[in-house]
Amino acid sequence: MPPEATLPVLPRPTLGPPPAPRVPRPERYALANGLRVVAAPRAGVPQVVLRLVLPAGSVAEPRDFPGTASLVGHLLTEGTESTSADELHARLDLLGAGVQPSVGHDFTEVETVLLSETLAEGVALLAEIVTRPVFPPDQTERIRAESLDALVARLDEPANVADDRALLEAFGAHPYGLPPFGTTEGIRTVPREVLAAFHAAHYRPAGALLVAAGDFDPAELREALERGFAGWSGAAEPVVHPPIPAHPANAGRLVAVPWPDAEQSEIRVIGLGISRRDPDWIRAGVANFLLGGSTITGRLGANLREDKGWTYGVRSAFSAGVQPSGWLVETAVDGEATADAVAETMREMRRLMEEPVGAAELRRVKDALMLSLPRLFETPTGVAGRLSTLEAYDLPRDWWDRYPAAVEAVTADDVRRIAREHFDPERVVRIVVGAVGGVDGR
Amino acid sequence: MTDTAASSTLRFPVRTHALGNGMRIICHEDRSAPIVAVHLMYRVGSRDERPGRTGLAHLLEHLMFEGSLHAPKGQFDDLLERVGGTNNGSTWLDRTNYFETVPSNAVELPLWLERERMAFFLPVLDAEMLEVQRGVVINERRQAYESRPYGLADQRLHEMLFAGGHPYGWPTIGYMPDLEAITLDDARGFYRTYYTPGNAVLVLAGDLSPDDGFALAEHYFGDLPPGPSIPPLPLPADLAPPADVSHETMEDDVSFPRVYSAWAVPGYGTREWVALDVLAYLLADGDSSRLQRALVREGRLAQDVDSYLYPTALCGVFGIVATARSGIAPQALESAVRRVLDEVAGGGVSDEEVLGAVRRVRRDQVSELAMVEERADALAYAATTLGEPEALERVMDLYAAVTPEEVRRAAEAWLGAHRGATLAVVPRAGAEAEVADAA
Repeated sequence: MPPEATLPVLPRPTLGPPPAPRVPRPERYALANGLRVVAAPRAGVPQVVLRLVLPAGSVAEPRDFPGTASLVGHLLTEGTESTSADELHARLDLLGAGVQPSVGHDFTEVETVLLSETLAEGVALLAEIVTRPVFPPDQTERIRAESLDALVARLDEPANVADDRALLEAFGAHPYGLPPFGTTEGIRTVPREVLAAFHAAHYRPAGALLVAAGDFDPAELREALERGFAGWSGAAEPVVHPPIPAHPANAGRLVAVPWPDAEQSEIRVIGLGISRRDPDWIRAGVANFLLGGSTITGRLGANLREDKGWTYGVRSAFSAGVQPSGWLVETAVDGEATADAVAETMREMRRLMEEPVGAAELRRVKDALMLSLPRLFETPTGVAGRLSTLEAYDLPRDWWDRYPAAVEAVTADDVRRIAREHFDPERVVRIVVGAVGGVDGR
Repeated sequence: MTDTAASSTLRFPVRTHALGNGMRIICHEDRSAPIVAVHLMYRVGSRDERPGRTGLAHLLEHLMFEGSLHAPKGQFDDLLERVGGTNNGSTWLDRTNYFETVPSNAVELPLWLERERMAFFLPVLDAEMLEVQRGVVINERRQAYESRPYGLADQRLHEMLFAGGHPYGWPTIGYMPDLEAITLDDARGFYRTYYTPGNAVLVLAGDLSPDDGFALAEHYFGDLPPGPSIPPLPLPADLAPPADVSHETMEDDVSFPRVYSAWAVPGYGTREWVALDVLAYLLADGDSSRLQRALVREGRLAQDVDSYLYPTALCGVFGIVATARSGIAPQALESAVRRVLDEVAGGGVSDEEVLGAVRRVRRDQVSELAMVEERADALAYAATTLGEPEALERVMDLYAAVTPEEVRRAAEAWLGAHRGATLAVVPRAGAEAEVADAA
């Protein structure tokens, strides 16, 4: 007799009330030079995460040289007024510090991960790197050459080709239409002086923001920041955001990029999306979660993966940006199922526009979003990420306290409106890279 | 350098208890966030598969999410998501794990679900379920192997390094023909053999007292039968075989050559493994490290270089991977890597290099173990591969004692030219024109 025939069936447990999330209450202040600081200390693992956010993304770079912002980010650690690149790296590595610049469309973020006992030295090094880089010719040319090689290598991968094409299809000539790391032409030709000028214009304390999370003494941090960043001054030049196109030029169409011998097809569906500051952000998040926010339980995942077995995963998401910066579905499917997978994706999108979402499904999604809050503030990295988003986009400081009620307030009508505005097949572009035989533009 | 200042010792206190059926329960209390990580690890991985049925452990892991008698298809993810939880599973060479993180009020739900699939899975396992997940896994393999540049390199490297039937020689995802061939009976047999309480470790980490944790474990798992004892698989006589000189070249649709080297080394948790881990960081983590300087920053031969050490049980695997810059031949990368390894083995390393490397290891350990989910995984892994969860702290403490001489000796003893496998992946002849057309 199999064991399951004799074992008692235990009832599914009933659960008590969910715990309140511990939303951090950070200390906020500005240094004498205007740098805004958000400090969220909490005892725990001996780690400090510092996230410096600068309005120095690719949108701010000169249009003739896409890749400027990215090269500047990469070159921060390659030599300063007083320290050579080799010495800087030796010092960082001896501390065990991890300094990771990441350049996006709107912001450049420099994340520094330190062991708590190295806080003072780590802050001093971070300040030196960010405020006094000199872009030495030799290192600049090395990073330029490596970046050019990396751009070529990227395009070996159909997923990257699909991602790049999606941005281009949605945003055309707007800077959001290019990946934040720029173009071959831009990286190849940008003069060193332009890099230095970009740094001088956009890496300034007024307009920047530093978030600290982890196990540290707040007074020690403040003192280290005042000391380290003392010589830094001025305000970042304002960034001009050109208007977003009214709609993607190929809205309603399918763009096919053949890839020889592909066993899978990379599929992207892209629309314009909404700004991170848009009052619809939470409503859009609920609607998106229903469709493709979770790779297994979302309608797309339940259909394409769990029902059909065509893909390992499918997801959709609104990107956060100062301007609307895209709503994207992404998946890689069995080459033979390409046309069917595109059609099913469109069908699921249309279904959300046409049929009201049922109460039970909406309840499920709201619960999933609201009740997952306790996990978001578990680690220093998580805290730093959430706090820097609030500050960078100038969102209400009690955002996370108000979040559950805001999610609860979303109605089935809201979901349908969001679906009509953003998931309408006529408003998005479909991109297929791979086995394109059998897919057509309709 | 005064003291190690790699100091701040990490402590993850645990209490352990064994149920009557042999299942081991490990509780680690940490109240800093109102969440609990539930982690169930089975001592079974791809190393327990038979040739011809590779990929079975991982495909079974996929099937385990497809429902059980009282929580039918679709419910597993759904129930956990709606209480604010996350869940996943993974399969590797030595173990398979299933894990959930939930707000602390919901800790019983994952326990109930894990009981379900430990006791009531077989009645729902059917052909349709197998076919759908076979499709998902085949697409997972295509996405990560066939369709990815350099995607087949690791598979070939392991075949070279573990020639002769060593169970680390085949990929965990499985070979495509094997994935096509797996039957329902294969899945049932594998499940019956390995998914037993006596072959499992359960970790509860986070906002829960050990006493409560033990009581819940007894309630949900205490009545399950221990299951049959597991037939021991024949293991290779020498777990870390000195491979013959082994070198191959493979063509792929890539723009730049990339060179992979790997060595079989002592297994996870040994003192030598810890010295090798320090060596891996010293060689390629951080821009001042030996390989970054020799290959990237000064040598200008490579776009990137990385080193890694698998924490695997039968033996460790030490690897170095470097991608050439334009115009650089793979041979140039290979000799540069060899030169650096010979320098370390011959000339040794400095106190400062070791101190920095240990701090960088520590930085990554701290980042990872900041999450209770990762901590539960690490404790379960220590219990599964080293016999007890306390071994995690012991291994972490070994780093502070590593000396430059141990690092040198590790390079000399284990990373010699005659012991490694090297695979150069090079652009396919004529590939450039094809890619240009596609773009």
